[in-house]
Amino acid sequence: MGKRLVITSLSSIALLCAGTAAAFATAQSETAKTDVTFFWALYDGLTEEYRAELQDAFNAAHDDVEVEIVPIQWGQMHDRLTTALAGGQPPEISVIGTRWLLEFMALDAVEEVTQYVGAETIGNIAAGAMEAQVGGRLMGLPIAAGARILAYNPNLTSVVPQTMEELRAEARRVTAATDAYGLIMPGKKSTELTDFAYYLLAAGGDFFETLPDGSYGRSTVNSPAGVKALEFMVTLTNEDQVVQEGYLALDRTESHPIFYSGNAAYVFIGAWVESAMNQAGADFQAQYAQIPGFDGQPSTPLIITDSVAMFSDTNLEAAGTFLDFFYQDQWKARFDELVGFPPVTVSAGKLPQFQSPLYQALGEAAVNAKGWPLMDGFAEYTDLIWDAVQKAHLGQMTPKEALDEAAARIDELRGT
Amino acid sequence: MWNAEARLAYALVLPALLLLAALMLYPIAYVFQMSLFRTDKLGRLQEFVGAANFVEHLSDRAFWQIALRSLYWTLLGVVVKTLLGMAAAVLLNVRFPGRHVARLLLIIPWASAVPISALIWEWVYHAEFGLLNHTLRATGLWANPPVWLGYPLPAFAATLWVDIWIGIPFMALVFLAGMQSIPGELYESAAIDGASAVQRFWFITLPGIRHIILIATMLSSLWTFNDFNSIYILTRGGPAGATDILITAIYKSGFEWLKFSRAAVMAVVTFLILTGVSIIYARAYFRTERA
Repeated sequence: MGKRLVITSLSSIALLCAGTAAAFATAQSETAKTDVTFFWALYDGLTEEYRAELQDAFNAAHDDVEVEIVPIQWGQMHDRLTTALAGGQPPEISVIGTRWLLEFMALDAVEEVTQYVGAETIGNIAAGAMEAQVGGRLMGLPIAAGARILAYNPNLTSVVPQTMEELRAEARRVTAATDAYGLIMPGKKSTELTDFAYYLLAAGGDFFETLPDGSYGRSTVNSPAGVKALEFMVTLTNEDQVVQEGYLALDRTESHPIFYSGNAAYVFIGAWVESAMNQAGADFQAQYAQIPGFDGQPSTPLIITDSVAMFSDTNLEAAGTFLDFFYQDQWKARFDELVGFPPVTVSAGKLPQFQSPLYQALGEAAVNAKGWPLMDGFAEYTDLIWDAVQKAHLGQMTPKEALDEAAARIDELRGT
Repeated sequence: MWNAEARLAYALVLPALLLLAALMLYPIAYVFQMSLFRTDKLGRLQEFVGAANFVEHLSDRAFWQIALRSLYWTLLGVVVKTLLGMAAAVLLNVRFPGRHVARLLLIIPWASAVPISALIWEWVYHAEFGLLNHTLRATGLWANPPVWLGYPLPAFAATLWVDIWIGIPFMALVFLAGMQSIPGELYESAAIDGASAVQRFWFITLPGIRHIILIATMLSSLWTFNDFNSIYILTRGGPAGATDILITAIYKSGFEWLKFSRAAVMAVVTFLILTGVSIIYARAYFRTERA
């Protein structure tokens, strides 16, 4: 019994060792190439076919580099990236919200891209898109930059509202006269706080006061403009009931399909609208306009920029080679077309497919648009403002009370 | 006792034990250490601050709200899973045609990946396109069903139901296994003595599987307390924090806001709560075993 046990155990260990050694040998032979990992955000409209084609085309053209493009839902990107950084296994390159850049720079986790990306690639990027230029150093290449616009369904309305008040009136009319909703409003907490931002900026408000030296002061979400914005949102949802049913349970990806299906008159949306509608099989052609300001306020849309940043301190030469490849029109312009964002490269901007009414609307929107505050810790402040917005919608607090509470907590956290 | 075979057995177990220590004990110890330090945004220890992190975070009212919610989330979840699991086990213990198929079908929620189940339920609860509200309206059972994930109480109930739905099969199968180990003669004798079905269940089945109930509910308590997937996928802790429990708060503090000290404090509290629960269960288990 004992002898048989010993023989069996030793045989098992020997087999295990042999298997491990064989696997190790195989892995060694495969790692002769330089590996590059790219955390790839799954933008609305972007297809798996494109990701796979890009990866295969690059790998086929480069014998010495093996790039792996890892698709990640946009809502999980920040968490995945920080987890990878905390675990000491960052990707060589990753899509980031440009607003996260300061956070990563504070960790000394990002590298200056000009060291690794070709001058020709950088020279082809529109100067206005270089938001990731911090202190004279380019810490990321813009990958997607686009202001938000108003899309409307011409089968339900022909009114292009010039003010938020006009938008409300027309949304009420559509809701009363048809089976469709007047307006789409995502209300489920997600990574971005876009919907409150649309109304806040439209009311002339902002998230923080800007001090004379350009730094951020106290939170101003509870300013009269902030309170007006949230009161207006609550009126649309609770009093007018012009937004989709269950708005607090639906985020952007769950609520926008209602517009694509022709069941809503208006939606505040980004550049991906056309490709997302095509993929959803929409049977109408959306029209585009600017997100209006409140009466007496100019249109001030939100603009969002994302960048590609370089993280790991190894293999960055190979990563730079990949970015040079990706930023050619053959690939980057197709990427822009799929996700719908206006091109960030000069050469792609001249292509005929980017001269449509959608891109004209996006171009106009960019003129007066405002971006997110570029500050450390904004993810937590976003969460607090989300809670305030939801509490107001639920009637747990008045908009002013909820925003006062959020602003006080944000100031406490920031020590301002 | 300490013969060659025992030595070999220990030697063979040793690599697994070392692996376990590296993958479980070290991270636990590191979290304890982290809770006593100020950390940077990657969780690296910066400065020893002693109990200051605990004082700061345990004096926050929001923390206690979340902790309390975690407790009644767990209590409700385990009680309902135990009751429904027991009912399913009793039914599956009855001989009827198709019993094997029924047992197989019961396993599906437990065998499926939790994130996939949660995603499916997210669409079931969808206010506009969801199967649940559509069915409730179409059948006339509920003309105006709630927006399940949009309001605090329905969202809590809906997320808890997903956790329960996933957990019922485990309870049912474990209870069923216990029931099948009870000798059939006991039931026959009781029936001859005139015991009703309820009495047979109460006086034979329940005492016969009490050890199993203790073990199953203990395991279920630990899993329910730590059910991150259902909540995070369905509501991300919303609306307005109504479904936030300790495990989701730990994740948000650590990986969304990069406040690792705060996350570590909450993780330590969670560890202590669950250790306490386990000790209580273990004592009860050994007491009933001795009896």
